[in-house]
Amino acid sequence: MYDFMFVIFATFALVGGLLMVFHPSIVHSAFALVASLFGVAGLYWTLGADFLGVTQVVLYVSGVTVLLLFAVMLSDKTLGAVSILRCAAMGLVIGPLAMALMVTYRAIDGMVGTEGAALPDPAPTTPAIGDLLLQPEGYLVPFEVASVLLLIVLVGAVTLARPMADRQVSRKTIADRADAEARGDEGASAPQGEGA
Amino acid sequence: MVSPQDAVVVGSGFAGSLSSYLVVSGGLFLLGVTCVLVRRNALYVLMGVELILNSANLNFVAFARFGGYGMDGQMVALFVVILAAAEAAVALAIIMRVFNEFGSVDVTRTDSLRD
Repeated sequence: MYDFMFVIFATFALVGGLLMVFHPSIVHSAFALVASLFGVAGLYWTLGADFLGVTQVVLYVSGVTVLLLFAVMLSDKTLGAVSILRCAAMGLVIGPLAMALMVTYRAIDGMVGTEGAALPDPAPTTPAIGDLLLQPEGYLVPFEVASVLLLIVLVGAVTLARPMADRQVSRKTIADRADAEARGDEGASAPQGEGA
Repeated sequence: MVSPQDAVVVGSGFAGSLSSYLVVSGGLFLLGVTCVLVRRNALYVLMGVELILNSANLNFVAFARFGGYGMDGQMVALFVVILAAAEAAVALAIIMRVFNEFGSVDVTRTDSLRD
């Protein structure tokens, strides 16, 4: 049963990732990323991490991807296709990286060596996660720091995403006012266009 | 906790074993690195980073389950998901500002500091 689920979700994750990287249209790529992230959530479920899988669906598959699609709509779509030359050049980077990954995985697999070992049947993890998040000897401090971080990110993202026009206008009016004051009192109240 | 008597065997073959999860995670990681390096659109770069974070998360959860480390792996993965959401929000705000300033989200054209 777990094997079957694993194959399905791993296919989702990997095929979604492949489509995401190599599809020329960015909207299709974003939806392929949804499939890939959903596959990863399913892999969490097969690993017995039910709460984490649901968090993945709620945060990634809905939240982050909707945000991404908004950004896609607001930006240009002209930078489509992947150039073959860049792909070939990056193969020189990716190939050795893949080799290193495989060697590392072989080594780790030899160290842990739990293939086919008897594992406890996955139990619901939500109560345990709640306990750990609220225990001082558990993850209470990172939990609080994460909430402060999310507040900072909220304010920072709004500040960053505000159109530059607002700030330029206000900066310009400040500069105009300073100019008018430097020139004297006669043009201070009049608009810049009439004064010139 | 669950006693060893009612333990079940997970993954008799390759599918569902630890190395199969590692292979999937490695594949996702390589796809993410490819996306970050090959694409010029900043949004693709961001998506590639999300894929890389997910592959690392998968490693955490898989090792925690097969290595018998309890809940710690899942907690780390949970915090990574939180940080990834925050990172995506800030990165998208930056990308929108880059689009306003440069009229494009091409990462090779944002070179004002080069001079």
